[in-house]
Amino acid sequence: MSGTYDVVIIGGGMSGMMAAIALTDMGRKIAVVSRGDPVCCLSTGCIDVLANGNDPLEGIGSLPDNHPYHLVGKDAVKASLEMFKAVMSEEGGAYVGDAHANRRILTPLGRHKVTCLVPGTMEFADFHSDEYIHVISFNKMKDFYPNYITSNYKNAGCSIFDAGISTTIGIAERFENRQFLEGFISWLKGLDIPEGRIAIPAVLGMHFAVDVCNEISVELGRNVFEIPTLPPSMPGLRLFGALKNALLKRGVDLYWGKEIYSVEKSGSQIEAVTLAGAGRSARVQGNAFILATGSFVSGGLHASMDTARETVFDLPVYLPGKRKSWFNDDFFAPGHAIEKSGICVDQSFRPVDTEIDNLFVCGSILAFSEVMKYSCGHGIAIATGVAAANVCGEPV
Amino acid sequence: MEFDFQHCIRCTICVANCPVSRVNPEFPGPKQAGPDAERFRSDDETSIDKWIRLCNQCKRCEVACPYGVNPAEIILREQVRYGGKHFRPLASRVFANNYWLGAVSSVIAPVVNSLSPMKFIKRLLNVFGISTYLPFPRFHVHTLSRSWRWKGRRRSQKKVVFFYGCFLNYNRPDLGRNIRDFLASLGLRVIMPGQVCCGLPALGNGDIETARKFARKNARILAGYIDRGYDVIYSCTSCGLALTQDYPGILDVPDGKKVSENSYNLHEYVLKLMEEHYIEPVFESFHRKVAYHIPCHLRALGIGYPAAKLFEKIPGLETHILEDNCCGLSGSYGFKRSNEETAVKLGIIAGHAIKDVDPDMLVSDCGACRMQLAHFSGISAVDPSEILIKSLKRETQ
Ligand SMILES: Cc1cc2nc3c(=O)[nH]c(=O)nc-3n(C[C@H](O)[C@H](O)[C@H](O)COP(=O)(O)OP(=O)(O)OC[C@H]3O[C@@H](n4cnc5c(N)ncnc54)[C@H](O)[C@@H]3O)c2cc1C
Ligand code: SF4
Ligand code: SF4
Repeated sequence: MSGTYDVVIIGGGMSGMMAAIALTDMGRKIAVVSRGDPVCCLSTGCIDVLANGNDPLEGIGSLPDNHPYHLVGKDAVKASLEMFKAVMSEEGGAYVGDAHANRRILTPLGRHKVTCLVPGTMEFADFHSDEYIHVISFNKMKDFYPNYITSNYKNAGCSIFDAGISTTIGIAERFENRQFLEGFISWLKGLDIPEGRIAIPAVLGMHFAVDVCNEISVELGRNVFEIPTLPPSMPGLRLFGALKNALLKRGVDLYWGKEIYSVEKSGSQIEAVTLAGAGRSARVQGNAFILATGSFVSGGLHASMDTARETVFDLPVYLPGKRKSWFNDDFFAPGHAIEKSGICVDQSFRPVDTEIDNLFVCGSILAFSEVMKYSCGHGIAIATGVAAANVCGEPV
Repeated sequence: MEFDFQHCIRCTICVANCPVSRVNPEFPGPKQAGPDAERFRSDDETSIDKWIRLCNQCKRCEVACPYGVNPAEIILREQVRYGGKHFRPLASRVFANNYWLGAVSSVIAPVVNSLSPMKFIKRLLNVFGISTYLPFPRFHVHTLSRSWRWKGRRRSQKKVVFFYGCFLNYNRPDLGRNIRDFLASLGLRVIMPGQVCCGLPALGNGDIETARKFARKNARILAGYIDRGYDVIYSCTSCGLALTQDYPGILDVPDGKKVSENSYNLHEYVLKLMEEHYIEPVFESFHRKVAYHIPCHLRALGIGYPAAKLFEKIPGLETHILEDNCCGLSGSYGFKRSNEETAVKLGIIAGHAIKDVDPDMLVSDCGACRMQLAHFSGISAVDPSEILIKSLKRETQ
């Protein structure tokens, strides 16, 4: 049959894409249905696994019992991160880092972010504060203020390059051009930068930033690294582009840009979803389904005044009480209770309290993942995506 | 939806997907030109910004936006209002009426074909704001509209009308006739009724009245067939977008909804016939490596990539899907001098992506994409149906 997929994945974010990769590698035929591009496009591109302590994998032990990392288990989390790294290397966007070690990378605010795996362009972003650091910015570049950084370090300098364009994407586009890159390098050479590291906002190309970064390092004889920026965030966009490419190479069919309009069920089985369009709706049929539509910010959950609903299958949503208990009084204090909300699943990633048995749930839509509080965004997405795929791809 | 723009959370995902603002700093991108500026527009205050015309309506922003905002549509409505209030350059007027242009050119095809490559003609066209970096498509006297209008048994269980569109009609009537015969070979009754331009070129050039005139006429013809049990098949993805989204949407013509609900992409329809076991085709091998450039408007249709699914069934065929680039020509957009630089820059980017695959041939569903990308990659381009027809040739005999 041409029409029925082994698994239809709803949501094209980190968890949905990693699930798709794991399943195609098991020989399954997959479709991914997504309303739009995922939040990973807005992210730093760095894979946060767990920010408490130096070893994120060991840190899993200290998480509350209901945290979804426990469903996966430490070893499987590690294996999923290895799988992620392998895919990224294949796609020419190699990541560096060890799942057992957190690192601290420089942010555009001149502070540090704790994360685990980073794109190759940020390999040298974890440095000792005594070391000299030279920040490069671009004339009129939006939302990047090198003073935030230089004022935080006693041992720092800054120079500004005129790229002839001021948008992140516009500058990144120019770095794809050989002549532009050579001009930039010879300008850098003329600056006589003291011994130390060179930090450049993340604009070193649309796709092959690692090569660009390495070339500058070699030419200048300094360690060069990228600083993530506010969206549009090139490292996030590169990450999404690379994973999407990995899906296309594996023959995954993509249905993008349309909302789910209706769901067809028969008994305890979901049979198909149809996509909203102006006319006749496209229908995508599957033997099993994975829900990876993300949390509130991505539209997997939708909150109204005193309740929240899951937007595709109307699954029961766990909520931490009434609205007044959703938020902390201090907005910036981490761990707003609302972050706990989401879908509760059993050991096999099937949603609890439903009749349906060919549906699996993964990613930030899972209840108790508390992505912001624990700083485990992409980590939990990758780990649960691969884990859900492993369960649902098992031969019955 | 009218208040779509209020759902915008300013995430910039659409900006990251916009081909025009990527290479042309004069265009502020979908977020600013769409939802941001919309807040400052009212019924009697239209856009005062000339850059509104720079959007090429590729719809990539809409496919990417995770929050259901439709920046391209907001911009299109504004382009139309802007077009109604401001002088429209001659080139826009000409391309809005490309249907008539095609009709006239095909009657005197040999003259047009030999004149268009000439230097002084090119210079003359440049003066009128028409760009000539691409060779003009060849016109044919024996158009589709002058071809045999039906094929297949009248008693066939399934009946289809083929909406072939201007490009096949004027520039590739041979392919149009092959598609007609191919459909008949699948056991379908095929009719190619008299039809006019889908209306998209007129809409894209800010002339909604002409677009609506065309749409009304087509919808009346197609609805007549639909009422008698026919399905509508299109092969041009931009025609498809007009039929399925603009007829019931911005053009809002009578029977628009009916047309929209009963129109199918050619390859989508072949898959449907296979799913229903109406046909059980045997695919013959075709040993080639192809780069499949996905037209922006195929993405926007939201039906996945049906031709790619059929390609998977052809033994020996190695398909590399390239979906991240807009070819830059965007129908008649790149034929306007004012857009030439943008079109060329985008053509070069998309051409590189194709050359990186090092394919034997280039495939794309859209005639404009094929012209532009064959030029910038130097690799000859075919429509996916040409490969499909070749692989299933036993049946067409
Ligand atoms: C601004 C921001 C920055 C971040 N930065 C980082 C970072 O630097 N490092 C890190 O590790 N984590 C970061 N995170 C967290 C991390 O990005 C997410 O937790 C993680 O990527 C979520 O992945 P997901 O697959 O669960 O969901 P998502 O990536 O949100 O994907 C959900 C997908 O489903 C689609 N969808 C939603 N509803 C529907 C529907 N009804 N029908 C069809 N499709 C639907 C959406 O369009 C989307 O594509 C960040 C988050 C945000 C918001
Ligand atoms: S239109 Fe959509 S993609 Fe663009 S900024 Fe607004 S919410 Fe984001
Ligand atoms: S339709 Fe295309 S060109 Fe126009 S704003 Fe959207 S992405 Fe940009």
